[in-house]
Amino acid sequence: MNNLRVFVSSAVFSFRAQFNWLSPSMWLTMKFVLSFSQMAFFVFVGIFSGGGASAVSFIAIGNAMQSLSWNTVFSVVQITGQDKWDGTLPLVLATPANRLPLFVGRAMVHVLDGLVSVAISFAFAAFVFGVNFAHADPFALAVTVLLTSFTMAGFGLLIGGFSFHFRNPIVFANIFTFILLIFCGVNFPFSALPRLVQPISYAISYAFPLTYGINAARQAINGASLFNISPILAEQIVVGLLSIAMGYLLFESFERSARKTGKMEAQ
Amino acid sequence: MPNTLRVIYSAFRMAMLYWMADPQWIIPNVIAPFVFTAVAFTLFNAYEGSSGPFGLYAVLGGGMMGMWGNTIYSSGFAISFEKWQGTLEEVMAAPSKFIHVIAGRSISNALFGLINMVAVFIVGIFVFKISLGIYDPILFTISLLLTLLSVSALGLIFASAFVLSRSAQTLTNGLETPLYIISGSMFPIALLPFWSHPLAYILGPTWGIDAIRLTTSQQYASQTFWTGMGTNSALFLDLTVMILITAAYAAIATVLFKMVETRARTMGTLVEA
Amino acid sequence: MNELGSQDGSSSGKAIVAEHLCKTFEITKGMLRRKKTQVVALKDVSFEVDYGELFGLVGPNGAGKTTTIKILTTMLIPTSGRATVLGYDSRKDVTKIREKIGIVLGGERGLYTRVSAVDNLRYFADLYGVPRNIQDKRIKELLEFMGLSDKAHVRVETYSKGMKQRLHLARGLINDPEIIFLDEPTVGLDPEIAIETRSMIKGLVEKGKTILLTTHYMFEADALCKRVAIIRNGDVVALDTPSGLKRYVMETSVVEVEGFGITEKEVARFREMKDIISVSAELGENKQVLKIQTPKGSEIISEVQEVLKDSHIYDIKIKEPTLEDAYLKLVAT
Repeated sequence: MNNLRVFVSSAVFSFRAQFNWLSPSMWLTMKFVLSFSQMAFFVFVGIFSGGGASAVSFIAIGNAMQSLSWNTVFSVVQITGQDKWDGTLPLVLATPANRLPLFVGRAMVHVLDGLVSVAISFAFAAFVFGVNFAHADPFALAVTVLLTSFTMAGFGLLIGGFSFHFRNPIVFANIFTFILLIFCGVNFPFSALPRLVQPISYAISYAFPLTYGINAARQAINGASLFNISPILAEQIVVGLLSIAMGYLLFESFERSARKTGKMEAQ
Repeated sequence: MPNTLRVIYSAFRMAMLYWMADPQWIIPNVIAPFVFTAVAFTLFNAYEGSSGPFGLYAVLGGGMMGMWGNTIYSSGFAISFEKWQGTLEEVMAAPSKFIHVIAGRSISNALFGLINMVAVFIVGIFVFKISLGIYDPILFTISLLLTLLSVSALGLIFASAFVLSRSAQTLTNGLETPLYIISGSMFPIALLPFWSHPLAYILGPTWGIDAIRLTTSQQYASQTFWTGMGTNSALFLDLTVMILITAAYAAIATVLFKMVETRARTMGTLVEA
Repeated sequence: MNELGSQDGSSSGKAIVAEHLCKTFEITKGMLRRKKTQVVALKDVSFEVDYGELFGLVGPNGAGKTTTIKILTTMLIPTSGRATVLGYDSRKDVTKIREKIGIVLGGERGLYTRVSAVDNLRYFADLYGVPRNIQDKRIKELLEFMGLSDKAHVRVETYSKGMKQRLHLARGLINDPEIIFLDEPTVGLDPEIAIETRSMIKGLVEKGKTILLTTHYMFEADALCKRVAIIRNGDVVALDTPSGLKRYVMETSVVEVEGFGITEKEVARFREMKDIISVSAELGENKQVLKIQTPKGSEIISEVQEVLKDSHIYDIKIKEPTLEDAYLKLVAT
């Protein structure tokens, strides 16, 4: 893999990861801009389509929850994918430290980052797009958001584990982060998708922790208590744990094959 | 003095050859527009069915967004690309004007947006059952090509700004979606708050997409200034304004490229990407 | 000196005139607190090159060779001083110069690796304004000349280092330039390929081209160049034909000592000694090599052995002065 690909990939995409290198004020500004613009885009499309206030509400909440997927899924893929590109992976693997805590530890920063994104997005939803939070159960909502952020980080590990085996983790991260917009009930319920696609989309959606999170969040905002939404959250936790487990396994298998074939650096 | 068009074409051709060698690199640039368009399709369908002017917005708007995405990221990095490839010095040392070389590259990037349009078209027709006829194919093609040029000229501004200032690089990060909104790609500008309209109007492609829509359907009413006028007049005015804006972009880009060249010849380096 | 300047590059003038070239760079360091420092790449460089001459610019890394070439080829603007190429001013008549010169900065870069040799040559032919109707013919000839005809349509990334260098050279000739600037053309090449490259360079001069070449291989400059300028720390310290430069060190011999256990201490002692002009030392882990310049010749050997009595001496040789010695004398401390 020549330098060009490394550079193009990091340029085209890791720009967004450069949040880590920006000053705090720039980072916050970017957060505001990104959260707002994606939500605004879809809200306007919703309005243009003739959906009324309920559509706006649906879309705004969905996008608010989805905003954490940037930080969690993408950033985690970036981190785990990045090792391969940076060439530090051999060094990391050489340490006796247990892999799982190591990578989960790295994901924590992004989990917190995701929480901030959601908070900002909810603020926009309430104050700019007029979503009604009056009946919301704050505790239920808070737990939902927290759990979603965690489980999505775990999902990121899964994608990261996959991407170790391929040459383009960036393309992967890209595809998965955006696909969430279609398959997780972010902007519309599944019934809105064309007949052709519905069965697949149902199936896919079950694999994404975000689906459960959005579902639970909507209910919490409408007044459901933690008890009411706990079944959904339970399913979400299971999916999240499965993702982490699978991600870990994929990563281990990569490590094994890397030891065999000697392929560890970026090709 | 090398022939200008020859140089632009040669650079365009090189960019195409490079893409053909690694076609998958287009994916990061077009996946956002593609997904956004798919969501828009679904929303349009969900609330109003496929009978509204939504086909125009979804398909054409989707293609427009693809062009934007490529412009910001690919054109922005056009000069940096030469640097990573190791060819920047040789290209800048040639007698051809550097801006012409990068223009060729910028045009190829805008063209990739068209590929996005075609993909969106296919999905729209076969998955979402959208009907879309083109009322005046010749004017459609002309409008499309002129819009391409406008986007390319904007790409030149990005390309030079990126290597002149680190802040330019940082600021464009996240510029994508706001541009989709402001340019009226997926919904009329009228939906947006009035203070944002001027921003829409300084973007050449805003007029372009309006012109393209005018050539597609006779029912479409221009969403720019000339809402009351007939299709042909609105179309003519749209294209005129866009050409003027594009000329302004080209002038700005020329100035910026002079700065790039002076900087490279004085300092020996350009801003790192 | 062509002050009134024939702007048409007439042959009564010189091909290249460098007048008191000076170049200072401003480097900004640090991420948060930016510090600006000035780096002087060229202090005062002056020389002239005749038409049809093969001129060499020789010096250690960082001496200013590449900076000089970049100024002469219009890629850099000098801080002060003037460069005139083919009668044109390098600051103002940029396009006119670029059309008529070839630049080979060398190495494996400067080529688009994901496409073929022909694609690369065609691209640069267009950038240099080579007329369409002669492009095909010239590309074919160049590829033949460089021995790349059978790999013309294969991606450059599959090329070996030597092939890339040859393609680079072909690219530098695409506009049939009057002057060719070569920056370290044989560095990193296998010996056989380097030899081929040198004979190619010689062939170009025989065809009437003017060539300015930079190198840090003395024997290369010696073999190829009509005249050589030695550049050190941004200054030209000597300019003469190779034999002229060698005559400069005629009075001195070089004693080459190979040993083990030689340290900086001994080197310093040598430098203090009366009859020693200069000492260059390569102090490796397993072996150390000293090159001692002295007018005393073989008489110095007993003194050498005295200084090195605590070390092992593997071998002592006495060499005739070469261009490298002249270079050492002028450049090494």
